[in-house]
Amino acid sequence: MRPLARTLHYFVDYQRLFVPGLLYTVIGAGFTIAVPVVVRQAVDSIPRFVTLFRQFEGSEVQGQLFADFFWVLLLFGLVVAGLSILSGYCTFLMRQTVVVASRHIEFDLRNRLFSHLQTLSRDFYLKSATGDLITRCTSDIEQVRRYIGPAVMYITRTVVIIVVAIVAMFLISPTLALYALLPMPFLTVAVFYVSKYIHIRSEQLQRQYSKLTSRVHEALTGIRVLKAYTREEGEAKAFEKESALYKERMLGFAIVDAAFRPLFVLVVAVSEILVVWIGGGLVAEGAITIGNIAEYIIYVALMTWPAATVGMVVTMVQRASASMERITEVLDQEPAVCDGAQTNTGIRAIRGAVSFEDVSFRYEGDDAWALRHVSFDIPAGSTLAIVGRTGSGKTTLIEHVVRLLDPTQGTVRVDGHDVRTLPLGMLREAVGFVPQDVFLFSDTVGGNIAFGRTGAAQPDIETAAYEAELLDNVQDFPAGFDTQVGERGVALSGGQKQRTTIARSLIRESQILILDDALSSVDSKTEHRILGHLRRRFGRQTLVIVSHRISTVQDADLILVLEQGRVTQRGTHESLTAVDGLYSRLYRRQQLEAELEAL
Amino acid sequence: MADKRGLDGRILRRIVGYLMPYKHWVLLAFVLVMVAAFVGPVRPKLVQLAIDDYIVPNDLTGIHVIILLLLGAAVVEAVLGFINAYFTQWIGQSAIYDVRVRVYRHIQRQPLGFFDRTPIGRLITRTTSDVESLSDVLSAGVVLIMGDLFRLVFITAFMFSLDWVLAIVTLCAMPFMLWVTNWFKRSVRAEYRQVRKQVARLNAFLQEHITGMKIVQLFGREKEEIKAFVKINDHHRSAHLKTVFYHSLFWPAVDILATSTIGLVLWVGGIRALAGGLTVGVLIAFVQYARQFFQPIRNLSNQFNTLQSAMAGAERIFDVLDRDYSLREPSGPIPADVIEGHIEFRGVWFSYSEEPDWVLRDVSFTITPGQTVAIVGATGSGKTTIISLLLRFYDIQKGQILLDGRDICTYRLGYLRWRIGLVLQDAFLFSGSVERNISLGHPDVTLDQVRRAAESIGANEFIERLPGGYQHDVHERGKSLSHGQRQLLSFIRVLVYDPDLLVLDEATSSVDTETEHTIQRALGKLLKNRTSLIIAHRLSTIRHADMILVLHKGKLRQRGTHDELIAQDGLYHTLYALQYKHQEVAAAA
Repeated sequence: MRPLARTLHYFVDYQRLFVPGLLYTVIGAGFTIAVPVVVRQAVDSIPRFVTLFRQFEGSEVQGQLFADFFWVLLLFGLVVAGLSILSGYCTFLMRQTVVVASRHIEFDLRNRLFSHLQTLSRDFYLKSATGDLITRCTSDIEQVRRYIGPAVMYITRTVVIIVVAIVAMFLISPTLALYALLPMPFLTVAVFYVSKYIHIRSEQLQRQYSKLTSRVHEALTGIRVLKAYTREEGEAKAFEKESALYKERMLGFAIVDAAFRPLFVLVVAVSEILVVWIGGGLVAEGAITIGNIAEYIIYVALMTWPAATVGMVVTMVQRASASMERITEVLDQEPAVCDGAQTNTGIRAIRGAVSFEDVSFRYEGDDAWALRHVSFDIPAGSTLAIVGRTGSGKTTLIEHVVRLLDPTQGTVRVDGHDVRTLPLGMLREAVGFVPQDVFLFSDTVGGNIAFGRTGAAQPDIETAAYEAELLDNVQDFPAGFDTQVGERGVALSGGQKQRTTIARSLIRESQILILDDALSSVDSKTEHRILGHLRRRFGRQTLVIVSHRISTVQDADLILVLEQGRVTQRGTHESLTAVDGLYSRLYRRQQLEAELEAL
Repeated sequence: MADKRGLDGRILRRIVGYLMPYKHWVLLAFVLVMVAAFVGPVRPKLVQLAIDDYIVPNDLTGIHVIILLLLGAAVVEAVLGFINAYFTQWIGQSAIYDVRVRVYRHIQRQPLGFFDRTPIGRLITRTTSDVESLSDVLSAGVVLIMGDLFRLVFITAFMFSLDWVLAIVTLCAMPFMLWVTNWFKRSVRAEYRQVRKQVARLNAFLQEHITGMKIVQLFGREKEEIKAFVKINDHHRSAHLKTVFYHSLFWPAVDILATSTIGLVLWVGGIRALAGGLTVGVLIAFVQYARQFFQPIRNLSNQFNTLQSAMAGAERIFDVLDRDYSLREPSGPIPADVIEGHIEFRGVWFSYSEEPDWVLRDVSFTITPGQTVAIVGATGSGKTTIISLLLRFYDIQKGQILLDGRDICTYRLGYLRWRIGLVLQDAFLFSGSVERNISLGHPDVTLDQVRRAAESIGANEFIERLPGGYQHDVHERGKSLSHGQRQLLSFIRVLVYDPDLLVLDEATSSVDTETEHTIQRALGKLLKNRTSLIIAHRLSTIRHADMILVLHKGKLRQRGTHDELIAQDGLYHTLYALQYKHQEVAAAA
């Protein structure tokens, strides 16, 4: 229950809906309760009418009397109908306020969660599964909404109806009321125990569900191994076992859930029986009328439905509480990389000098070092290249420049300032970063390029596309820059996608441009032309290139060779090819590769 | 529209089809529901008897019988309610289990090409949440709908048995009720479609932006993206608010109809009492019936909503089940116990896609039993494809692959792969113990066998050093082990499974000297007396190979031993200089 306390302020925020909403609920319940009173009047008067009517058997008055009774009875009927319309109208207004408010809160909560997700940094996303985060943004919020809207509505209505009904019952006959309410304490005890079990069992159910999902995920990811070792049957059996366990958990939940409703109905039925039994005796004594019994029966019946929904509401609240806990878990997550007290807001612009001072980094406390004692210094406007094998730490190194990662030891400086003191927004504004993995949004090609600079005009987009050697391709598309990217759009080739990501960064005209192996899907001729365009920016833009290809990096002012997180060689292309080492070996290999390609 | 409805009918019939194995139980559930539907309306009748026969005449002797009957009816109703709710869940969950296992097995049976094309996330959704959406229909759905229908019939019957005029009066509300329900259904259906569309948009946006969060943050686009998100979220809210409006109208309307009917019953009943022939008890009974009567109708329209959402899930599941790409398997004779190891590729052409985008072009070679054959070639030359084809992960377009002189398509897939041991470059590990990763959960593989295999290649040392030893949990994707250690585990796997043929994709990445040493030793043991096909990355492997196949751009360009090939000034010469020569330097150093 405690997690739900976090949602309380929403009731205040939306008091303009909740206050009238609860008022309508109370008034509506009042009208609903009034119906039995009218019915009792009618039932009580009918025998009297009949007796009176019989007395005038045969006389002329009887006809007149019949007409009068006809209208009186019609009046009863109309009052009942009228009350139901009033109560219905209140129900309508109640739904239009309380349920609508719950949708507004859902909207707010989701916006809040998503904008918080936007502040969280790499470490959080490394340890969270995308599917799980989506679930929290959708179905968990939906569970909380159900508690805020429908559950609050049901609870209010139930309480009002039960209180009014009980008061009315006591007014008519305290004795009968006591008997009628005798079974109710059992109800309370039952709610307590059953809801406890529902909480436990639904948690078990949820856990098994997630186990089942992981099992499928892993089996399908490793399908090649399973097939190679013909372990499909064994894996299917294991899946069946998890499924069977899930079914068992589901039934464990069902048995509690199934008991809920009949239990309530039984308690109410016993109450009704007591009314007839004890009430019958009271009628005989003349303490109450038969109409009172009819009234009581309606009261008890009125309580049936709310009583039965108590179960539903308890389940809703329990699930909402569990879901809110999951949402809160994300909301309480502090971003590891963000502006703080150390931020120097006085810094307004960046020129682009980058230096590393003895930077070491590891992902987690007991992991191996991904970077060890890396130091270098490049002036603004120059070109830095980093080469090395897969896993040597190239990406880790450059991710420090944009603070996707913060160093474990040492300092990263831009223009001489520790990057941790630079306002994060400004730092990233000054950097164009083209990551290794190509990621585009389902938008048009033009939209994806314009993503790089808010408010970019068409000529800017075209220039960026030109510099990324994408313009000719785009002009060949029937829809040009309006061509859709993604599942439903045209399938762009790997190279085209990669060049789109390059254009997206080029349009930023940033002080620092970082290419993380971003020319891997581009053939060497195109690569050459793109590098030619970039060279024209020389002096204006600091360029950091990570690459496997020597041809890409050979013009750099400084080349770092990275091996197992350590800088093992540094210099220019000329100085590095002159000595034996990883660089010259890579260079020879690539010359051979070019020969091979020509064969 | 008519088409759409016809489709829905078909899907519904198919969903219900999954209940067929439980048809006897479903029948029993029907009977129970019918009994419950009968017992419910009995109580107002009994109350009427109590009032008319005992309370009005003011003679309470004998009322105990009625009270006991009432109590009995209430208990029976409650017990049946419980049994029904649980029992229908049991039937439903059993059927759900069947569907889930079936979907999973179907997916698992698909060839690798299917997994190349289909995102794994989508397949997971099919086996989990889509199956889940059928649960309401399969468990409660069918039986409850029947129960509600029965209840309507029984209540109507009871009403007619009490007083046919009042019964007809009560039924007067029916046409209105049907009209309101129909109106609701029609209006809300369009809105629901809109809601589903908006939910899908919201999910797609979340999926994309959570995956691409790094890009959003790198480009400082948080403000713009939250704006876009708020807009989508707003559309999502509006779509929901429209359905809220219709719900707000519908449920009170049902209540007004039900309560107004009570008013009508009072009026007509009062007049009938004046005319004689109607007792107070009957009137009270009708007040209750008028209430009870509308409950099943409300339930039925509720059920309709669940049905709609189940339909969408079912459609997606059937879409998967209806497309079977699994490779054809011979039903013929069981092949011999041991495969000799004679492999022949005869003019093999292969393309991963439908278009003739050839990855292998006219590849032919023969491997005799016991030979070790190395495949070399630049990246993308088709090396991995050859071993995938030998294991029949894909079917070839032209040519033939023969094993011991028989087309591999004539072997049962399971048997073929059982006799070929595969070691992949990046050894995939499952979460779980080291032992499980070696045995892959095979029931015949004992821990002792695993241990002996590990000892035979000297890998037991590093395993025993792990916390928990053979029971050490390697975590998802084997994150806690080094590259070389993972490779060793898959070597042990091969030794334990002891296949007739070995197919090996050597790891390219460098490992520490100690592990490298163990790997070399293990390799020697694996290759001994076994036909082996190796994608070679190690100098020692190509040197010791009986034959080297040189692959370039999908074509087999040269073949021979290392010494023969190195003597020629061809492709191999360049390749050797490119990929292997530096190892010579490293080994010498």
